[in-house]
Amino acid sequence: MKQADLVSGGIGVAIGAYAIWDAQHMPEDVVMKIGPGFFPTILAGGLIIFSLALIFNALRGRSKGSVERLRWSDPGVRKGLFLLVAAALFCAVLKPLGFIPTAIIFMLVMMLVLGNRKPLALTLAPLIVTLGVWAIFEKLLHLNLPAGVLVSILG
Amino acid sequence: MDINWGLMASSYGAVFTPSVMLLIAVGVTAGIVIGALPGLTATMGVALLVPLTFGRPPLESLSMLMGIYAGAMYGGAISAILIRTPGTPAAAATVLEGYPMAKRGEAGRAMAMALFASFFGGVVGAVIMTLASPLVSSFALRFGPVEYFGLALFGLSVIISISGRSLIKGFMSAFFGLLICTIGFDPISGFPRYTFGAMEMMEGPPFIPTLIGLFAVSEVFNESLKSGVVKSITAKLDQYLPSWADIKYCFKELCRSSVIGTIVGAIPGAGGDIASFISYGEAKRASKNPELYGKGQIEGLAASECANNSCQGGAMIPLLSLGVPGDAVTAVLLGAFTIQGLQPGPLLYTEHIDIVYQIFASMMVAQFAMQFIGMAGIQLFARVIMVDRSILTPAIFVMAMVGAFAMRSNIFDVYTTLAFGMIGFLMMRYDFPLSPILLALILGPMAEANLRRAMVMSGGEWSILVTSPIAVTMMVLAVVSLFLSIRKHNQVEAKLAEMEEAFEKTIGEQPAGAGA
Repeated sequence: MKQADLVSGGIGVAIGAYAIWDAQHMPEDVVMKIGPGFFPTILAGGLIIFSLALIFNALRGRSKGSVERLRWSDPGVRKGLFLLVAAALFCAVLKPLGFIPTAIIFMLVMMLVLGNRKPLALTLAPLIVTLGVWAIFEKLLHLNLPAGVLVSILG
Repeated sequence: MDINWGLMASSYGAVFTPSVMLLIAVGVTAGIVIGALPGLTATMGVALLVPLTFGRPPLESLSMLMGIYAGAMYGGAISAILIRTPGTPAAAATVLEGYPMAKRGEAGRAMAMALFASFFGGVVGAVIMTLASPLVSSFALRFGPVEYFGLALFGLSVIISISGRSLIKGFMSAFFGLLICTIGFDPISGFPRYTFGAMEMMEGPPFIPTLIGLFAVSEVFNESLKSGVVKSITAKLDQYLPSWADIKYCFKELCRSSVIGTIVGAIPGAGGDIASFISYGEAKRASKNPELYGKGQIEGLAASECANNSCQGGAMIPLLSLGVPGDAVTAVLLGAFTIQGLQPGPLLYTEHIDIVYQIFASMMVAQFAMQFIGMAGIQLFARVIMVDRSILTPAIFVMAMVGAFAMRSNIFDVYTTLAFGMIGFLMMRYDFPLSPILLALILGPMAEANLRRAMVMSGGEWSILVTSPIAVTMMVLAVVSLFLSIRKHNQVEAKLAEMEEAFEKTIGEQPAGAGA
């Protein structure tokens, strides 16, 4: 956890420093004496103080808890990274490709990645989940989901 | 503010209509299923299903969410008893007594008591909420900007003090959450802050996508790292209600724990997990046979389950009367209120008193629905635990993304959800509590906007903050709570470590009979 605390503390300091730097460019308020930059500066100051405390604790060997190191050889880590890439792709193609094709492909790929090898489940689950979610949002709640390439069929 | 019994009766009448009853039943069933699945919490369940309330009338929407909340709190006990894995953090204390009972071949007795205790706690919590909320809100009607600033400070001080094992990380989470809510237009002057020139950032991070990301998508990432081994259930579930002797034996504990749970729930930031551990600890302390605890003592099981459901009513008190959520689930519920155009707080009582009473009624009815659906579906819910994770994990992701997109049909919200999902996953992994972020998103703007309003009123004089006795009391309470929590943190941590050790010991034992 020591290394993780040092990194998290560093990120906290960096976020706080950026917030204070940006707040310096916000206008002052002459009537209220506190302008738009007042609150962010105080909060960023708090974040920096506790981030430094975390770093200080880690350097003194007083980090709490333990965390398993992420290793490429661990199948769980590979699955997690695959999910991240698939999730980013899901967001990117959701509008142009449409909800139904995107969700079916995503479900199928992720089920395979997560170790499902049952042909019946691989065929039915993506279809049932996707069409079920689509029916609830489109037909029951009357909310629009992206039609994408199926626009001519779905209207 | 007196209770309007006529309105109360008509509110029950409004809830007892087929459409509302159906939605409560759907909510309770979904809640039990979500609660029973280890890793899926009540917060996640409500966050994931809030989008299903878009476009529905307030009564139907809020009734369904009340059902989910009640169901999920009980559902956690199912996997806690049958497979030694609490379905929700609030059921962690249930494992200590529930699993040893299942090992002895008393899974049916444990499940029946868990359900009844949840029902009992839920009803007591709902009654206290019904009686206490109007009183608190009539007091809060006197609040101006200075008092609200004091209240927000108090809420923030409590959140920080009870969040997580590391006080420093709790503080960091809270400050990070507070900084996030400064993104967008400044509440008084309208100056855009930290928007990087993006139009979508002008209104700040969208609330629903942010919370779906933090609480649902982060769990999807977490689940994908696990091995996905599903345990099978072999326990015999032959009892639907606890015996009269068991109820009599646990009655004192049920009463005590439901009051403790409601009080803990009413403290901003404290949720079902804390309520159940405190009640369990108190039950053990007051017991004539404390040495039997950890070996399948039905009293302890009743205390834990009763407290986490009564916590629900407690957490609704500050939400409805002050607009300050009592726990993470009610923070998500606040988002659902906003979608319906309702702003919880004292004004809700003057502007939408009918809705307030309907919430009281729907919460009470949800408890009865939970008892009946829980009894009817006990065999089915026990099997839900075995659902294939390789299907469930991507399905939750799809639902989360669609929910985030549907509200504004904006692809930016989908990216926000993914980004907060990653942030939430990394924070959970490195032991940073997530709840302070969610509550900071609500209390932060409240603190800033009211401080700035007070400063407008005083022409920039800071002395206005000490002109109101209520505000001064709250600020003093905030300082005292902060001081006490820092001082007592080591003590609390030692006690939690002791509880966790007992928990680890219980779950570390080899299973026999209940699950394999």
